This record gives sequence, structure tokens and C-alpha cells, in this order.
Amino acid sequence: MGAVLEMMTAIRAGLILTTTLMMSCSAISDSGVVGQVVGAVTGAEAPPVGQQINASEDDLLDNPGTFLRVNIRDLDRWTTMVKAGENGTRTTWIGGDGISITEENGVLAATRGLPRDIMGADTAATWQAIRAGGGTVQKRMDFLDDQDQILARVLQCRIVSAGSDPVNRLQRTYPATKFEEECTGEGLSLTNVYWLNPSGRMIRSVQAVSPDAGFLQIDVF
Amino acid sequence: MQRSVFLGSSAMTLVLGLAASAQELPTTYSIYGTPGLLEMPVATTAPEGTLAGTLSYRDGLFQAVLDYQLTPRLSGSVRYAIIDLYDGTAAGIVEDEFERGFDLKYQLVEEGSYVPAIAIGLRDFLTPGRLQSEYVVASKSIGDSLVVTAGLGWGAMGSEGGFDNPISSRADRPVFDESEPGGQSASDAWFAGDAAVFGGLSYQINDSWGVQAEYSSIAYAADAFAPAVEVESPYSIGVTYRQSDNLQLSLSALNGTTLAFSGTYMLNANTRPGRAGLETAPAPVNLRSNSARQATTWDRSATPPESLRSALAATMAIEGLTLTGLELTDRTARARFINRRYRSNAQAIGRAARMMSQIMPGAIEVFILEPEDEGIGLSSARIARSDLEALENRPGAAADLLARTEFDHAGNDATLADAQADAAALSWGFAPFVELSGQSGGLTADAGVRLNASYAFSPQFILSGTIGQSLLRNDAEDPGTDATPELQNVRTDGGFYGDDGFPVLERLTLTHFGRPADDIYSRVSLGYLERMFGGISAEVLWKPVNSRFGLGFELNEVAQRNTDMGFGFDEYDYSVTTGHLSAYYDLGGGYHGQLDMGRYLAGDWGATLRLDREYQNGVRVGAYVTQTDVDPDSFGEGSYNKGVVVSIPQDFLTGQPTRRAYGTTLRTRSGDGGARLRVDGRLYDVVRDAHTADLTDTWGRFWR
Repeated sequence: MGAVLEMMTAIRAGLILTTTLMMSCSAISDSGVVGQVVGAVTGAEAPPVGQQINASEDDLLDNPGTFLRVNIRDLDRWTTMVKAGENGTRTTWIGGDGISITEENGVLAATRGLPRDIMGADTAATWQAIRAGGGTVQKRMDFLDDQDQILARVLQCRIVSAGSDPVNRLQRTYPATKFEEECTGEGLSLTNVYWLNPSGRMIRSVQAVSPDAGFLQIDVF
Repeated sequence: MQRSVFLGSSAMTLVLGLAASAQELPTTYSIYGTPGLLEMPVATTAPEGTLAGTLSYRDGLFQAVLDYQLTPRLSGSVRYAIIDLYDGTAAGIVEDEFERGFDLKYQLVEEGSYVPAIAIGLRDFLTPGRLQSEYVVASKSIGDSLVVTAGLGWGAMGSEGGFDNPISSRADRPVFDESEPGGQSASDAWFAGDAAVFGGLSYQINDSWGVQAEYSSIAYAADAFAPAVEVESPYSIGVTYRQSDNLQLSLSALNGTTLAFSGTYMLNANTRPGRAGLETAPAPVNLRSNSARQATTWDRSATPPESLRSALAATMAIEGLTLTGLELTDRTARARFINRRYRSNAQAIGRAARMMSQIMPGAIEVFILEPEDEGIGLSSARIARSDLEALENRPGAAADLLARTEFDHAGNDATLADAQADAAALSWGFAPFVELSGQSGGLTADAGVRLNASYAFSPQFILSGTIGQSLLRNDAEDPGTDATPELQNVRTDGGFYGDDGFPVLERLTLTHFGRPADDIYSRVSLGYLERMFGGISAEVLWKPVNSRFGLGFELNEVAQRNTDMGFGFDEYDYSVTTGHLSAYYDLGGGYHGQLDMGRYLAGDWGATLRLDREYQNGVRVGAYVTQTDVDPDSFGEGSYNKGVVVSIPQDFLTGQPTRRAYGTTLRTRSGDGGARLRVDGRLYDVVRDAHTADLTDTWGRFWR
């Protein structure tokens, strides 16, 4: 019953928001769909249509677990993301520019809104190897090809610890251990880099999406 | 935010899809618009799926050619040419004759380490074939940059330094009888008469620049009805510049007499400039709690169905989807919606399903999604909500979900609660248009603006019309002589229509769409159906959702409109009963066939066969041919209607989600025989992309 009430509250809040958005911007462009949906569904944290989510440094630091800062290397652009949904241990984050990422323990499971998304990827083995201090794993990554077909690539990955490597951000230094994951597969080779804080939580990573979408640097706050 | 210190520490390379063949040198296109040297063909091929449009000019010969590499070995071309021709005495010259033609080429042998590529081809192989040639050609690359080509040509390609045909049984080449109708297969001339040797070199200096040298076997002799092109020497040289993978420009000095220019724009149907698409992310699946999932019913007073309906409508609208109906039970939700945004209905279904996961009470375990168009439910996809939850963002999710999704015909209309409370019944807009058409006598252009308006009495019952105002037509284009006096001028008088510069009523129709039975669709259109005809058109289509086969029947009773394109029909006093039995078949492997049998506008009986190569990303290249009981002599030039149809979805080029497409039909001519009514809303095009075969083709987009 509580869940239903919660949903209805959200729907009501969302409808007000959605209606407002639709009235203020009759030609809703594709940008900001996610933001609208977040707003429409959760009634909270809705970024304005097509605009970046504005979070100050204090917002980032004072609300751990609320924001991601993602640098889309190919576009040389930073975007702030908020939680859009959780599916088990996988969390989907979305930014005001219509790009979403899904991660599990910080390891990238999927992206949406990039020129060539990861449609779905294994993450568990990589995470286990990181937790074990290194290892060799196999993982599958799915992409969408130019014929709307799923292109699956099975990668052999070697994960090694690169030792202590503090993370600097927002004028602060965080102790961290750096891990590198080198993967190769048919027509594909890539290197991901992860930084874990002493409690074993990933606070930063640079992860490959695809040749058309490049790398994402993901900072977890 | 501080820039990271590890920018250079990561490296990634990735080739998605199948790597290109071993052929590394770029394909260069000749001024004849096919892979070649300057005027002569080569044995190498363009990558499969390449569409190349070429415009070229040399003295007395302007060409616009579309070349298409259908399979790795087979390619075909359509050519529109404006040629100066010698007259029947070979003494005078008739300038700017408009000619159409087709080429075919087949690669017999692929290039190996020691073996050259070998191809056989026909150029301009239908009558009258002013450029008609046949050839066998071999090309071999030497090193990374040089390709050597040598070949044997017949016809026009056998005219410079020609010798007795090595095929002794075909020593004499028949001369085309100008009194015979054109557009026939000229097979008695193929590989007949003298043969001659041609060849050349192509050297690629770097990624952008290449040079060609050619010894041509086309003499351009001053014969009756032959192209009036001056030639002093068989030797020619040229240079090509590739600005990108998509554009080739070339300049050549031909035959010691003239300069030639050509530009080729290339597009590969397998390589989408818009990549996998740039549309924004979808809403994620909303995971239910365990307790919510185990519920077997939901509290309708706490969660009124009307609230769910309006919430779903609002959230689906964000995705460009219009919810038109919703049926809720304890465990199922059936949503019918119109997709106006995504080329792929699978993607629309995927987005709608995720929105439903956000809105629907936890007890609802089954989502049934029904795409709608023209007011009719086209199909249904039955998806388990727990599958959505379990598969989201998992490798193999698309294939796994497809295997578990049940497709069927759309459900009952009556039990759907209407969700479209205030659907806009009237819509209208202006749109500019540009049209090129080639009738006898050359190419004509038209441009102007159109006012489109429609009013929906109900989603299935629509009044719509188009008023056009041409900005260029000033009574300038009159049809030539009537080549088919025996036939009513159902198309050849097209140039008279709307040519006085006043706004014209292009279309004004009252249309009703229906689905009288589960797998049967219907359409009735009444009014001014097209520019030249008005009347009534009725169609039924049987097309089961899970079948690759469809059968349709159309019957029209129409009268020819007045040329002022007003409301009148008295100018011609011509009416006809026309209609077709149509069979549609998805042959698999990206090939689609259609056979129409029946009576055409001029009262002639016959059939049209159409074959399309359709890529899953929506690029389509098709060809059709119509043969009717009209005597070819009556038919005039062209003999029978045939043409090539090309359609490229906008999202292929831009990556932005849209259902629009760019398309064109390249006809050899719009003759009076084999002419079909051009009525809007033919049912097969309305229903097929929501049926299982098409949904499966683009199912990879479900989760996008």
C-alpha cells in the first residue's frame, strides 16, 4: 500500500511537472527526455529540459551517492548525472543532456545516448578481480551496429593493481588504489582504469565505451 | 573540475562490424558513373551496399548515374543522359537528346595473390542503347597503389581498333531499327560484332589523390544516331580527388580533344553516418519490490485507472509516442499507441514498455503493446514485465527478450479505454517542394510550396488535402507529340496539369481505414485522389502479423481530372475501372518481392513485378517492371514501365530519431501503358513495419 501511495504521489508530482514542461515548450525536443522522465516519475531531481544539472561543488561533496560527474572525452564535455533507477545492484544515472550510464560497483554496464552505446556488458567478473587485487576475466560487451543488430564482443581482460595513486579533485586529495584492466577481443582492444578508495569504493574511473563514443571519465561523489 | 592526469594512459581501437574486404584501394568512378578508369570499366567492385551518384560532363555528353553494388559481385546502374546525337544521315547533329539506360556488371573472379579480378558487364543494354557496350575486363593490383586493367569490349567499346569477334557465331552486330520501340532487351546485339581491346592504369598517390591513364576502345564514330562526341586519340589521362570516403571529384583530359569533369557522391547502406543513433537515453526500467511483484491484484480506488492512463499518456508523450487506448486487468496492461518518432517500431515498443514499468501497479506482470497507424491496431507484442526487469542492460538482452516476446494481431478495439481525450482533430502545415522530372525533351524542374491539411472525424476517418502553388511552372512545359495515340493520355499529359501558374488542388480525399477482421485491413478513399485522377479507391489486405506473405486487392473507379486541377472532370470525359491483386512476400535476407496483377489506368491488363533490397537500417533500393497487353509499338519509347526506387531514412544520415525518409523513383518514363493510380495510404506500407518480420529486423533497437 505504501508503495502504491508513493507511486501515486510521484505520478501526481510528475504530471504537474510534465504538463508544465509541455506547456512551456510545445515542441519538446529530444533533449531532456530523461530529465523529464525522472521528474515525471520521481517528482524530484528533475533537471530542466535540455539543460545541464547544476550542482555546486558543495552539492557534490555534501550529498555522497547523489551525483556523478562524467567527462565525455570525445566531446570534451562534463555532465552531471543523477540517479534515474536501480535494478538490483545496477544503477542508471542520467544527465540533463540526455545521456545515461548504468554501472554496477562503478563498472560500466551500459550507456545510452552516445553515438555507439554499450547496450549491455558483464561487470561482475571485473569487479571480483578488482576486489581480489587483480586477475584474468572474460566479459561480453554488446553494441548496436549500423544495421540495428546487436554486435557482441567477448573480451579477455587482465586486471592489475597499479598501486597507490591519489585522486585529486575539487581541491582535495583522496587516497586511492589504481587498477588497470586491459582487454582484447575480436577487433577490439581497450584499457579501463579504476581508482578505489581505502574502503573499496570506486571513486573514479576512465572506461571505454566504443570507438564512436570514446571514453568516459566517471567521478563518483 | 581538474583535468585528469591520465589522458594518455588509455588506448582503444575497435572495428565494429565486418571488416572491409582485402581491397584497400578506394573505388574510383568513371564518367559513366560505374567503378572504372575514365570511360572504361574495371573489374574491381565497390564495397557491397554502396550507392554512388555521379554527375559528369564531357563535350556533348552529360550523365547522371546511380550505381548500386547489390551484392559483393553484382552491381547495377541507372543512367539519365543528355546527349548530342548524329541524326539519321549521320551528317547533322540533334542536340540535347534525353536518354535513359541501365548497366549491369558481375564479378566472375575475385582478385587473388596471382589472379586478377575478372568481371563481365553490359552498359546501356536496352534498346536503343546509344552507348551500348559489353565487356569482359580483368584488373590486378600491384603493390599498394597501382592497379592495372585490361579488357575486351564489344559494341561502342569495340569500335576503336576493332577486330573480328572471337565469338565467331556473333560476327555481325545488328543495327538498331529506329522505328522499333525502345526499352527492349537488345540481347541479339550483346557481344556481337567487332571486338576491341582497352586498358589502363590507376595509381593512388595518397588517400586523397589518384591518377589514371587509359587506352579507350570507344571510337565515337560518326554513325547515324550515335553520340556526337569528338575524338582524336584513344589515350586519356585524369586525376581524382577524394575529399572524404563519400565524395570523389575528377578532372580528365579525354581523347586529346576535351576536358571532362565528374563528381561522385558515395553512401554505403552498411555504414550509417548517424552511427547507432543519437537519440537521448530512454527511461530505465523501474524495478518492482518483491512484495509488489507478488500481488495478484491492485487497488483501483487508490490507483484509479484514469490516473494511470493519463500518467502513461503524459510519459509516453515525452518519448514522442501517443497513447490512444489502454486496457487494464489485474495482471495485464494493454496499451495502444502511435509512434511518430522512431523509424523502428521495436524501439518504440521498447520505450513504451519501460514507461509502463514506471507507471503500472506492481501486480501487472504482462505488458501488451500495440502500435497503431491510421487509426488501426497493427499488431501486439506481449512482454513479461519480469523479463524487462531481469534483462535490462544485460548482454544478449535483445535476443533473449525477442525469444520470450509473443507477437500477434492487435486486440479488440472495444475494450480499450480511449486515452486520447483531446486529440487535435485538425492539423495543417506548409511545406516547400522541389521536383525534377524527365519527360521526352529533357529534364524539367519544379519548385513551390504546398499546404497540407487534414481533419480527423475519428482516428480512422480522415479528410485530408493538399493545395500546391508552383513557383516555376509558367506554362513552360508542354508534352511532346503523343507517342501512344491508341491509349488515353493517362500520364503523358501530365505536363499540362497545373501548368498555368495558379494554385492547384493536388489532392482532397476522404479516407477510411479499418480492420474488419484480425488479419484483414481495409481502406476506402474518395475524392481527388491524385493530380490526374479522382474517384473512389477501395482496398483490402490480408496480412497475418507473423506471416511473411500478404495478399491485397484494390479496386478503383476513377475519372481523369481537368488540367487546371480544379474540381472538374469534363475536359477528358475519361473514366476507367482499374485495380490489382497484389501479393507481397518478405523473401528473407533483406529481399522483398511484390507482384501486382490487374488493370491499369489506360484500361490495359498486365502485371508489375517489384523486387527490393532492404537493409535493416531502412535503406531501400528496389526495381520494378510492368508489362501489359499494350502492343509495344503503341507504348512508344520505353515499351513498358520500369524504374528504380531508392529510399534513405533521415535517421540514417543524421542519427536523430524520425520516421521520415528521403526517397526518389527513377523511372525510365511515365508512359500511358502500365500506369497505376497514385493513391495515398496503401495498406501494406501502413501495416508491415509493425509486423513480426520488420520488428525482428530492428529488434536490436528495443533497448536503445
